Amino acid sequence: MPIFLDRIMKYYQLIGPVKTEKGVSFEYVSECDKVDLDYLGHTVLPPKKFFFPPIEEMFAYEYDETGNLRIYDFLEEVSKGMRVIVGVKPCDISSLLVLDKVFTGEYNDPYYTTRRNNTLVVGLTCNKPKEYCFCTYVGSGPSIKKGFDLLLSDLGDMYLVEVGSEKGWKLTKFNLDIFNEAENEDIKERERILLEVEEEIRKKGLPNFATIDKVLVERFLDRIWDDYSRKCLACGKCNFTCPTCRCFTISDEPNPDLKSGKRFRIWDSCHFLSFTKVASGEVFRKDRPSRFKQRIYHKFVYSINEIGSISCVGCGRCIEVCPAKINILDVLKEVIVGGKSVSAKVS
Amino acid sequence: MVENPYLPKLAKIEAIKEETVDTRTFKIKILDEKVRNSFNFTPGQFVELTVFGYGEAPFSITSSPYEHENFSITVRRMGNVTRGLFRLKEGDIIGVRGPFGRGWPIEKIKGNDILIVGGGIGLAPLKPLIEYIILQRRLFNNVILFYGAKTPKDIIYKELFDIWKQYINVELTVDFAEKDWGGHSGPVTVLFKNFKLESNNIYSVQCGPPIMMHFVTRQLLSMRMEPEKIYFSLERNMKCGMGFCGKCMTGGRYVCREGPVFNYSEVKNFLETPV
Repeated sequence: MPIFLDRIMKYYQLIGPVKTEKGVSFEYVSECDKVDLDYLGHTVLPPKKFFFPPIEEMFAYEYDETGNLRIYDFLEEVSKGMRVIVGVKPCDISSLLVLDKVFTGEYNDPYYTTRRNNTLVVGLTCNKPKEYCFCTYVGSGPSIKKGFDLLLSDLGDMYLVEVGSEKGWKLTKFNLDIFNEAENEDIKERERILLEVEEEIRKKGLPNFATIDKVLVERFLDRIWDDYSRKCLACGKCNFTCPTCRCFTISDEPNPDLKSGKRFRIWDSCHFLSFTKVASGEVFRKDRPSRFKQRIYHKFVYSINEIGSISCVGCGRCIEVCPAKINILDVLKEVIVGGKSVSAKVS
Repeated sequence: MVENPYLPKLAKIEAIKEETVDTRTFKIKILDEKVRNSFNFTPGQFVELTVFGYGEAPFSITSSPYEHENFSITVRRMGNVTRGLFRLKEGDIIGVRGPFGRGWPIEKIKGNDILIVGGGIGLAPLKPLIEYIILQRRLFNNVILFYGAKTPKDIIYKELFDIWKQYINVELTVDFAEKDWGGHSGPVTVLFKNFKLESNNIYSVQCGPPIMMHFVTRQLLSMRMEPEKIYFSLERNMKCGMGFCGKCMTGGRYVCREGPVFNYSEVKNFLETPV
């Protein structure tokens, strides 16, 4: 594998999972032996930061000496160079497929789509889930059928490689000396490992979360939401670590000369009071339950109409990082099992 | 390189008109001729307007759709961007993106009676519709405008009402009347006292503060107006205008892209009732 990554680095910028003090994290890699393809479950932040960075400088503006205003589009920088991201788990690949649907359609988000088109995805099937993983209940792991250029499976002494696209095929074609044709047994071994992972996650005995939208709609006014939202600190960590959360706000930052400045967009959180605030001061989600619910209803109800599927990929990051120890699986289970009585009805 | 819909097109402030103490109408001309000629909008649509250094905010287009060289927006000094805008002079450069969203259902309401209800600066997105109706007057039946403002001083487009009255019925009310105010006083719903639904062939369109739209909608429903004929324009935090930033989402719908104009039948089953 290091040889392959080394060769990739000759032509592409390489992004891969790297061990850091805070856990395994996707980073730009300059030495390929730093890449850690043995990481458990998922990285700290999902790969979305390489397609939709926390802060994106969109353009700069400047008044010249004659008073004319010029705009410098940073998109030109974004479109330079090709990248390969390796070691993306199926849950995170699924999240990119969700973001693809969100950021294209009637309009296309050029910052996102340019980076997507610039970047080859080398996936990695999951050999061992982490404590909070639940991909099998949302149909996004431990393996995946599309969304990758190459898909690696760690078989112990070698990797099985599945080709997912023309671009992926080219990556292997020029490196045939380090690839051997896969044997049937190798494919069977991959199936065996995947089944093992699936069974381990299945032990959690959760319902299929892809079809809970009707129950959620019925229980929108359930008291459960009040109970959980009282614990919620509205810190936004679940949004920022979520591989499919993509809400943002847009701001200008003038330079001290007031003649130039930048516009940027920055990750935002539906848990923040300011999220829905308009200039008049009106806030459309004032109470905590309404903001607590927005993320969950967007993932499990609204997304079905928006992109044709739910938008939770079961990575479990939001559970892992929540400082109030709110576990979305507990919330959903409780709602499905029957919830509590209906809280005060809002007209 | 791909077209970047986030880049504002440069435009010039052609004229500024004082409407009230805190509200002005800005006439805007897009600099690039090609962009200007392809700028076509439906009444009820909005633009994202940039005041460089202050940021960007959504504003309804208030000029007639038959005006081609320029378009206008009516702005109340409220937040950061509007404060910046109020510092600008005629000839200053701003940025424009859009138009965005779904406007008033003009085709549907043709041939019908129309009740237009506006509150405060909410008259702004209704003005291009009123001007369209007046220019195409024979395509519409009875048209009534109910407009409410806080005080007589807060009424916008004051000089236009007399012109409009020649073509459509206009009723005004103010929340707080002053001595020389001879008209109605109270919220816009007081104008409904003498209003009866005479047929089913009537549509209503409204824009105003959320509380106004809440009560007007209920008033119309109690008069048995069909929910799919009650239209309103929603105000939300529309940052990108394209359904990406997620901030305007209401009941799972993007107000910027799927609205801002909705009818009551579309929203009544929203989990978050918007009016």
